[in-house]
Amino acid sequence: MLIACAMIGAVGLTVVTAAIGQPLDWAMRGVTPAGVLLIAVVLMDLGAAHRDRLLLPLSGLLCVLSIVFLTRIDPSLAAHQLIVTVIGVFLMVALYFLMEDIRSLARFKYLAGLSAIALLAATMLWGKEINGARLWLSIPPLVTLQSMEVAKILMAIFLAGYVADYRHILRRNSRGRGSIQAPSLRALAPLLLIVIFCLAIFVGQRDLGTAILFFGLFVIMFYLATGQPAYAIEAVVLFAVGLALVYQLFPIASVRVSSWLNPWADPTGIGYQPLQALFCLSEGGIFGVGLGYLSVAKLPAAATDLILAVIGQDLGLIGSLGVVIIYALISVRGYSLAWQATDRFASLLAVALATVFALQTLIIMGGLLRLIPLTSLATPFLSYGGTSIIINFLAIGLLLMVSRDCVPQPEKAR
Amino acid sequence: MNELTQNIRRIALVAVAGFLLMALLFGYWQVLRAPALRANPYNQQARQRTGSIKPGSIYTRDGELVLGAEKGNEGWQRLYPAGSVYCHLTGYNENSGLQKSLREALLGIGAYQNRWGVISHTEQGLDVVLTINSKAQRRATELMAGKRGAVVALDPTDGAILVMVGAPGYDPVQVMESQMSYELFTNHPASPELNRALQGLYAPGTILETFVAAVALDTQAATEQTVFNCRGTEQIAGITVNCSKPGGHGRLTLSRALANSCNIAFAKIAQLIGPEQFRNYSSKFHLLDKPDLPLPAAQGKLPDLVGNNAETKLVEAALGQGATLVTPIAMARLAATIASGGQVVQPYMVDRITRQSGETVTEHHKRQLGRAISAETAQQIAGMMQLSVEEGNASSVGVAGCRVAAETGWAQNVQGKPLSWALAFAPVESPQAAVAVVVENDILGRPVAGPIAGQILKVLITRQ
Repeated sequence: MLIACAMIGAVGLTVVTAAIGQPLDWAMRGVTPAGVLLIAVVLMDLGAAHRDRLLLPLSGLLCVLSIVFLTRIDPSLAAHQLIVTVIGVFLMVALYFLMEDIRSLARFKYLAGLSAIALLAATMLWGKEINGARLWLSIPPLVTLQSMEVAKILMAIFLAGYVADYRHILRRNSRGRGSIQAPSLRALAPLLLIVIFCLAIFVGQRDLGTAILFFGLFVIMFYLATGQPAYAIEAVVLFAVGLALVYQLFPIASVRVSSWLNPWADPTGIGYQPLQALFCLSEGGIFGVGLGYLSVAKLPAAATDLILAVIGQDLGLIGSLGVVIIYALISVRGYSLAWQATDRFASLLAVALATVFALQTLIIMGGLLRLIPLTSLATPFLSYGGTSIIINFLAIGLLLMVSRDCVPQPEKAR
Repeated sequence: MNELTQNIRRIALVAVAGFLLMALLFGYWQVLRAPALRANPYNQQARQRTGSIKPGSIYTRDGELVLGAEKGNEGWQRLYPAGSVYCHLTGYNENSGLQKSLREALLGIGAYQNRWGVISHTEQGLDVVLTINSKAQRRATELMAGKRGAVVALDPTDGAILVMVGAPGYDPVQVMESQMSYELFTNHPASPELNRALQGLYAPGTILETFVAAVALDTQAATEQTVFNCRGTEQIAGITVNCSKPGGHGRLTLSRALANSCNIAFAKIAQLIGPEQFRNYSSKFHLLDKPDLPLPAAQGKLPDLVGNNAETKLVEAALGQGATLVTPIAMARLAATIASGGQVVQPYMVDRITRQSGETVTEHHKRQLGRAISAETAQQIAGMMQLSVEEGNASSVGVAGCRVAAETGWAQNVQGKPLSWALAFAPVESPQAAVAVVVENDILGRPVAGPIAGQILKVLITRQ
């Protein structure tokens, strides 16, 4: 399967290089991430333990697509992306070998939770603002990192560990009541805490996407802890009301919201980005215009926020649906590992990671497709970026470890 | 653990539903909404593609090229071979005139493109054929040179616009020559960009008496033979009405009153009709309608004929003064309605849209809007208007060898300068053309519009 990825990459890049008139040796780049992953697979197999066989090829496919499309948008970005991908794969393999048992990660849950909050808080205080959203933490002279990417994985570890330990406490007070629940104070308190925390992220980072991502993660984990869907619905309602209130009080992210509500009011100003993204998609139609056929120089953030629009333009609806399917498969694979896992912490960790992955993708797609306002979140494995690629590989690595350590090998040979 | 497993499965299901929704939304934007989005003028992506499409041309029905295209250094350039003759139709760039409203047709995109097409790269736009008669249009442009006003001619059988000239016009090529000439154009005191034929709001003055007479006959408030007494000046409904003839016309019938544009008789006729029927018929005639055309147009105005001084307002309206304002195309439509025996026509200007190979893509279909007045009333009014030409004050409209029905008049303009109006159609027995002319004039009473209407009719009915 990885070899197929490599071939797709090579063919794709050949087309792109032909289209933009670059020398053909660029085509080698498409093969590189697949090749690196192939080496990783072989390395991991040296350990000889059984593990998941689906996640790596799928994320490899996304990486290859990313390199192809970044080359098509701006070749210099692709070169950088390539290096980051190699680093990401290396770190993933290192993590895979260094941590003998995924269950030992549960020990670090408080450390992870505190560092996640610290990271988010630091970003709110000293973050760098790009396009009105404060998602970046700059640590000169070291790096500029998208802190929420790091925080999301730390938070997933914390929540998995916390819920695994304290599930019974939260459950006790919700047992034996009627179907319409009046949440007791003990259930209400964490619920309110979640809502307030996420609203704080929204205000502090000025980004709705990050707030929704963390909120979604919290609510899912809260639901698994209590087993009460009613609580989750209450939390969603509270959060929606809270968002509306906060928006009324401080018109933060107002540009993004008004450009979402009515982009046609100012099609060359605030409505420009969402509309041009839609125009790109419409150009693609069903079969796409072909790789690199139309310039995307007029599309803002083509390599980051709107890479899906470029894919939709070049590969059409077929390409878009292909990408949707890949993301859905990765997410479902994450959840299926979760329900197969024999250990509670590992299971919850897999749920949290799969949720973060699925939700982040859905938020970006929803923004592009005008379901919610556009956000600055990175499209996993596709967007040009450093932190995001590395973190996503680490998340895949954690899922692989869950499958290695906690999922019993099926009786039948594969 | 079992319950946890079940809940995780539920979450996975929700996630899959979310991805399914995204798939549907991709389909919605990439297929269902794609044609409209691709044709959107703000679409920067499509601009790369539409720029290479050979745009369609605009022709008149008799084959004159109105708007062409030529491949230049910066892609396709528009050509205006007839200069200012069709300026208000062509506009001067892609954001004005028919170039703006017919953009999708001229580029063959949007509604003219196949939604399910495989990467439909349109190479050629579509041609548009207008109902305009090029000879009459040129003649009208010549006659209106140096004047301000408008000429509109319709085919009374189906509402096809044969002539549409607003004066002053402009030369589209000159306008786009430089920023300076564009600024001169937009700041010109006579506003040449304004298409007076559709956007000009004028007091109709005495030509509205044809409408008043038609309502009076149709509601049987009066007959052709009803006699009125005109003493030259009279107090009617609280206002002093002066007749055009000093000393008055004496006793005269309704037919004579129309032929002589007798204000006093018509003020009295208006009182016989009453405000309710007046308003009722103004909508039956579609007198104030904004025509359904691919160019900007204005809507006529009639005062609310209610309240304390409803009678005063009614008399003012019947004399075409006060707050009553109409567009030249509405007056041409009034003439066409009388000419067609009372059937209201819907004016149109796009005859058909064809491929550059000539194959028709869409064609105009005549729209029936019902009847404003009975055929009998229409015939009586036509007879009176014919009398105006033969014995009354519309003699200037006459065309040799053809029976013409006409009404001329003047009105006080909003800005204070009097207007000269003419309303005519011919031949009376089977009308081929109905025309309305208005000239913004500075010499009181000079019948400038009448001869212009006559000249246009002469060009339009030489077919016999």
